[in-house]
Amino acid sequence: MSLLNEVWQAVKAIGTGMATVHKRVYEEAPTEFYPYVELDLPPVSVQSLALVENEDGTERCIVCLQCERACPSQVISIERHRNPEGKGFLIDRFDIDLVNCMYCSACVEACPVSSIVTIQDFELSTYDLHTLKADIDFLHEQARRSKKWYSPKLGVEIRTEDGRIEKAPPEMQPGGLAELLKPAAEEEES
Amino acid sequence: MSSTIGLEPVLGRSDEMIVNMGPQHPATHGVLRVVIGLEGERITRAVPHIGYLHRNHEKIEESRTYFQVVPFTDRMDYVSGTQNELPVVLAVEDLAGIEVPERAKMIRTMFFELFRIASHLVWMGTAMLDLGAITPFLYTFWDREIILGIVERTAGARMLPNYYTFGGVRRDLHPHFFKDVAEFLDHLEKRMPDYEHLVLENPIVHARTVGVGVLSKERAVARGVSGPVLRASGVAYDVRKAFPYDAYPEVEFEIPTSDAGDTYARFWVRFQEIYQSVKILRQLLEKTPKTGPFKGRAPARLKISGERYRAVENSRGELGVYVVGDGGDKPYRIKHRGAAFSNLQVIPDLFIGAKFSDAIAILSSLDPVFGEIDR
Amino acid sequence: MSLIPIPEDRRFKIKLIGYDPGRSRPWLERFVYSLYVVAFWLFVIATYAGVPALFDWLGWDGGWGYVVMRALQVVMLFLLSAVIALMLILALRKYLGKVQERYGPMHYGPAGGIQTVFDALKLLGKEDFVPAAADWLTFRLAPAVTFVSSFAIFAVVPFASGWTLADSNVGLIYLIAVSTLSAYGVLLGGASSGNKWALIGALRAGAQMVSYEVPLALVFLSVAVWSGSMSLGKIVDAQLGVWNVIPLFIPFVLYVISSLAELKHIPFDFPEAESELIAGYNVEYSGMSFAFFFLAEFVELFLLPALIVVFFFGGWHGPLFGLEPGTLAAGALQSLYFSVKTAVWVWIFLWIRATLPRYRDDQLMEFAWKAMIPLALLGLVLAAYMRLIWR
Repeated sequence: MSLLNEVWQAVKAIGTGMATVHKRVYEEAPTEFYPYVELDLPPVSVQSLALVENEDGTERCIVCLQCERACPSQVISIERHRNPEGKGFLIDRFDIDLVNCMYCSACVEACPVSSIVTIQDFELSTYDLHTLKADIDFLHEQARRSKKWYSPKLGVEIRTEDGRIEKAPPEMQPGGLAELLKPAAEEEES
Repeated sequence: MSSTIGLEPVLGRSDEMIVNMGPQHPATHGVLRVVIGLEGERITRAVPHIGYLHRNHEKIEESRTYFQVVPFTDRMDYVSGTQNELPVVLAVEDLAGIEVPERAKMIRTMFFELFRIASHLVWMGTAMLDLGAITPFLYTFWDREIILGIVERTAGARMLPNYYTFGGVRRDLHPHFFKDVAEFLDHLEKRMPDYEHLVLENPIVHARTVGVGVLSKERAVARGVSGPVLRASGVAYDVRKAFPYDAYPEVEFEIPTSDAGDTYARFWVRFQEIYQSVKILRQLLEKTPKTGPFKGRAPARLKISGERYRAVENSRGELGVYVVGDGGDKPYRIKHRGAAFSNLQVIPDLFIGAKFSDAIAILSSLDPVFGEIDR
Repeated sequence: MSLIPIPEDRRFKIKLIGYDPGRSRPWLERFVYSLYVVAFWLFVIATYAGVPALFDWLGWDGGWGYVVMRALQVVMLFLLSAVIALMLILALRKYLGKVQERYGPMHYGPAGGIQTVFDALKLLGKEDFVPAAADWLTFRLAPAVTFVSSFAIFAVVPFASGWTLADSNVGLIYLIAVSTLSAYGVLLGGASSGNKWALIGALRAGAQMVSYEVPLALVFLSVAVWSGSMSLGKIVDAQLGVWNVIPLFIPFVLYVISSLAELKHIPFDFPEAESELIAGYNVEYSGMSFAFFFLAEFVELFLLPALIVVFFFGGWHGPLFGLEPGTLAAGALQSLYFSVKTAVWVWIFLWIRATLPRYRDDQLMEFAWKAMIPLALLGLVLAAYMRLIWR
């Protein structure tokens, strides 16, 4: 009798398994149709690096070399010279070897002026690795092309339709919950 | 042909066939190579070879500053993301005396447990793939995808987020984090019965795993295994309970153990751990303040002297790190104690005498990740 | 710009946004796949009714004319088996896709409908490589043996009343002989590859064959005892009233299990076992030789469910709506019933493949010898008693 029971249990378990599997036929597959549909990546997502300019086209970067020092993979190499007309430095060369970069965003953490930022453009795949040695023009181009970027000091910034740079709404910001909860708390107090 | 390193054919034994399982073999989870002596289907000898994914982690980390070490540790156990960063972070915090805010500890623990679920889901899929069932693999990967999405929205990357830092975490939570995690936990609790039907209750899985690859309590302790493999052999050792870190003292959970020590017990323990992780996450969702500090004050340049061993319980067992600082801003020595590496030591014990098909099941129950084993 | 400027059109998403590869057009999917079914049905009708009618009309129905007619039917069946393979591979991939919450092939042809045609063409275009360590002749012969032995089952399968190549009165014995041969193909192919994994696969195929052949033969015997004939046509005829699955339930279950083993299908796919033996016996095969193993596998995936239908589910029996048996319309309708029943069983096999993990080969042997053979004997005895009592 126990043998029969065992067989019955086994048959029942296989049947349950098969029912479990077949149930999924009627569910919509969660596949993302990536090349056909643009992916909506979160604004903090680290897919590539860019060098942001100010709204008036001047350089944000003060060439302090912090990112070069912070980089664990040592892929950033910068050359600079003293600004003959004023304070600070000017960029001679700003190269990032995106092939060896491991996208840890340590450079972004280190940047004091939020010039180097992380962006969501991941479509840099190429047949030729040399094209991934990003120079300053390329990094500027990357920033110009992107609509939103992230740096820890200034949070998520967005580029508006008319080319201005603004701070993103709190729903997009890390820790934006504090700001979102504030009105509710104030209402409760009053 | 030098294909039998470590396992030379025995003269006069023509009934033994020596085969290389790996390094390119679908069931070796990457790049393990086991030279196996086969007598028909029975394994007579087994010599594992590792190192095909060696990237010199420890030496590279010794030439980097403490801040730069953390992203490298991510690359070890690439299935369980932030879990790798924690030992280094804890050790350096101890040595430098950095204070961690309560909320940061809770955030860390939440990510730790999210990645434990993610890792166990990957294990479930690949183990069933090794046993021949393709479908659970796709299901578990879809569910893991949700976790990775949650992680990406906060930490910025999916698998290798580089999220923990000395004194807390790198950035605050995404505004929808609590809602996302709560939704995911509800979803997972709906899915878990499906996985039970497909894996634990399946009579063929029973036939393949019950009584197969029995690891006795004594042998498990002697070989230094940890994590689910050790707990399946009846030793209730869990770093989270034995040497609590982060927010673990504040949450309630159990250590699932089994006395059987066989492959099925290891499967079962991992399933129970997912339930325990869900329990921990639910408690933390309640306890964690919605807003507040996520990072303590850490000096911009760390100069450390002294030495420290810190361990965490990652998805595979005790992941430890031994940091020696000589007063400079770079570690003098870093030694990682890999959980999967230690668990792999039982391969000859379990393989010899087993059937070849059993070897595949046993290997999948050990859940090795070669990024961490080869380092 | 960078050292080598990145062209703007490399941003491939811009070009393709808005193109829908077919996920939202299920009607198209159904239409394309029903074309395969119609092609299959037309092939069956043309083979079994069209070719004899053609030869009748030409007046070549005696002597050599008969031989030529049969040869033409065999050629038609070969084409039919290609259609079946293309159809079933597509069905397998689509069904596994649906079960696994993905879409399966959807790019080549409408809704992925001609993906398998391109796969077949790709295999044809590949180099047919013979490894240096292989035994050339055996290595070359093995795929042919495997395919021919699967294909030969077609000879006795009745698609409708009278629609069979050879309604032999030793049909069951022929089936046993032929299905044993297919294990030989795997054995030879694996053993001659000069590869250890292939050798283990071949040994497993041999071990598996000795486990499932005996209960299979006993099941055939029970069917023969109950139906009173070894001819497949007569077995189907005998099921006019009640399908054999009711009186012969135990042999039916055993036959399904042995069919799975004979197919090398998921709970029993030890000779192939991609997670254990990489690809088992066909690890060294490429190009056309591999395609023949593949073709054989999928032809068997059609034929063994078809035999389940013949033995236990009343073959081509079904309501004829007043049509005269023996006419073209009745034959077409009967072959449709037969095909639908077979399709249901193919689906069950695919479903099993989607759900279950792999058994272990020694466990199959144990199961076959300790459980299946006693049960098959029991089934045989019961069949004999029932025959004595009720017929």
